[in-house]
Amino acid sequence: MTPPVNELVDADRGYINPLVFTDQGVYEQELEQVFGRSWLFLAHGSQVPKRGDFIQTYMGEDPVLVVRQKDGSVKAFLNQCRHRGMRICRSDQGTSRTFTCSYHGWAYDLEGNLVNVPQEERAYRNEIDKSKWGALKVPRIAEYKGFYFGTWSADVPEFEDYLGDMAYYFDAVFGRWDNGVELVEGTSKWVIDCNWKFASEQFASDMYHAEVSHASALIALHEDPAFWAGTSHQTLMPGRQFGGNGHGSGSFWADSIGFSESMYNSPALSEWVTANADEALRNVSEQQLLKVAGHNTIFPNFSWLAGPATMRVWHPRGPGQIEVWAWTYVPKDAPDEVKAAYRRMTQRTFSPAGSFETDDGENWTEIQQVLRGWKARNNTFNAQMGLGHDERDVHGLPGRTSDALSESAARGFYQRWSDLMAGLSWSDIAELDAARQAKEALHQEVQEA
Amino acid sequence: MTAMIEHSGGAQRDQPDAGAGSAYRRTDVLTQHAVEQFLYAEAQLLDEHRYVEWIELFADDVHYWAPTRMTRTHRERDREISDVHQSAYIDDDLQYLKGRVRRLTSGVAWSEEPPSRTRRLITNVRITPREDGELAVTSNFYVYRSRLERHEDWCVGERFDVLRPVDLDATGYPYVVADRRIVLEQTTLLMPSLSILL
Ligand code: FES
Ligand SMILES: [Fe+2]
Repeated sequence: MTPPVNELVDADRGYINPLVFTDQGVYEQELEQVFGRSWLFLAHGSQVPKRGDFIQTYMGEDPVLVVRQKDGSVKAFLNQCRHRGMRICRSDQGTSRTFTCSYHGWAYDLEGNLVNVPQEERAYRNEIDKSKWGALKVPRIAEYKGFYFGTWSADVPEFEDYLGDMAYYFDAVFGRWDNGVELVEGTSKWVIDCNWKFASEQFASDMYHAEVSHASALIALHEDPAFWAGTSHQTLMPGRQFGGNGHGSGSFWADSIGFSESMYNSPALSEWVTANADEALRNVSEQQLLKVAGHNTIFPNFSWLAGPATMRVWHPRGPGQIEVWAWTYVPKDAPDEVKAAYRRMTQRTFSPAGSFETDDGENWTEIQQVLRGWKARNNTFNAQMGLGHDERDVHGLPGRTSDALSESAARGFYQRWSDLMAGLSWSDIAELDAARQAKEALHQEVQEA
Repeated sequence: MTAMIEHSGGAQRDQPDAGAGSAYRRTDVLTQHAVEQFLYAEAQLLDEHRYVEWIELFADDVHYWAPTRMTRTHRERDREISDVHQSAYIDDDLQYLKGRVRRLTSGVAWSEEPPSRTRRLITNVRITPREDGELAVTSNFYVYRSRLERHEDWCVGERFDVLRPVDLDATGYPYVVADRRIVLEQTTLLMPSLSILL
């Protein structure tokens, strides 16, 4: 039978029990303990620019409406009618003054308050207290650099504490332009038959796969076979991986500020990024521009890349399926032709038809298929890369880092997952993390001595 | 672009529920025949993984494009399909389309190695000749895909092509594709990737 949930991963030894990817019971618990208690990405402000603008998204499997309010703030509520549970709004996106349920007509305002009940006098004899039957509001929403995150949890730390050292890596990408970024309108959505953690973990912690999985991507991007050795050339470059609070970020370092033209074959982008280096240097450090350029995940399921400008949420759909919702982000103030260059380069590499992206999904679906096997499902996975070689606050990078080819962030990701799944309170988790860090420091001292 | 192409994509309409007049189209039989046989030949090249020959069917200035789509209300449906400045699954020039062919024939494109098996049905081929001698062609497609042991999915949608006449004797084909817009019916693609060509 299924072992206790807190024994499914052993982050200290780098063991993962594959049941975490297949078990329905584990999944049900994840919806409550992980998705119900973490900060989840809701929207970028540019998706809902004007009052009444809304998008429908998901928190785990729960549909929510994210709406720009009359006062300019952004609020969100469960897209479920309080009368008999009908989906209140059935468009992906739009502009509205109210949301009227198409079952019996209960109507909600932009905040989700119930404002109208048809036949209120005859059917309810005016006895219904509408103030008690508003849509379920997302109680906490945080805005960070134009990005909106929401949580159902009353205890999860404030968003910036939740980010911790990950803020440095987030800011390096999204905080470098004076007026931030905006999303290209329209979402690419597709379905992959795999567990959500394969995708999230990979974007947190896996530079290692690129050379093999994406062997064909450079062949698509470049006509000249001399470039095709590019990914292996890249693995000779120095680089670090960060892991903390369940988040992860990893990059090979650049030797100059600018967009990696040789990799993505986009001179227009390189030129513009180089020409605007001063603006970036006013907002973030040179270190950030040189050393943060790769893969990233904010726990549990929000990821982005800093080369191709893709950003995505991996929405869970049962233990064996995800919906990927992906966007391209562009500097808000960039001229149209630069935005177009970002858009094309990103879609050609990372979209359901992208030369990198398609090969990622192939791995995850095959893993999930193999895990149908009884032996396969009980065969421990190895997450030991770089075990025992973490360092803290080195190379000018904050937090716990390791070589770029490491699974340090993956171990951190599963540690946070395990703590939440065990039902530990957020204050218990904070205490545990502090104790782990103290042990780490001791270990570092012993090694140095 | 002709009026037909603009209207079929759901762009501005004069009245919310009116299109561009009669939907009836008629072309001379020989043109209809040549266009249909050209599209069938293209489908055959793709089903047989003959990508190196397939890429020759595209003009130097081709825009090969598959926009994203979303669910919108009837009132806002003119914004259902992304425009050229918005998101797309595919947004290629000839240079990158050639890149896709290099990738598919590389032996290391794992999402198509081993390759998918596809079967393409191209129907409802309708032609509007343009003043510049090129043809605006719309067609419906159904592409069935079987992959590895038992994966299957299908792409269904409409293509808006512009075909440019070329010398049949020199190239073996009567046209090249000068423009292609692929509009899929799904808003959430029920497939792990669009690793095949459409
Ligand atoms: S379920 Fe919404 S009004 Fe009845
Ligand atoms: Fe990848």
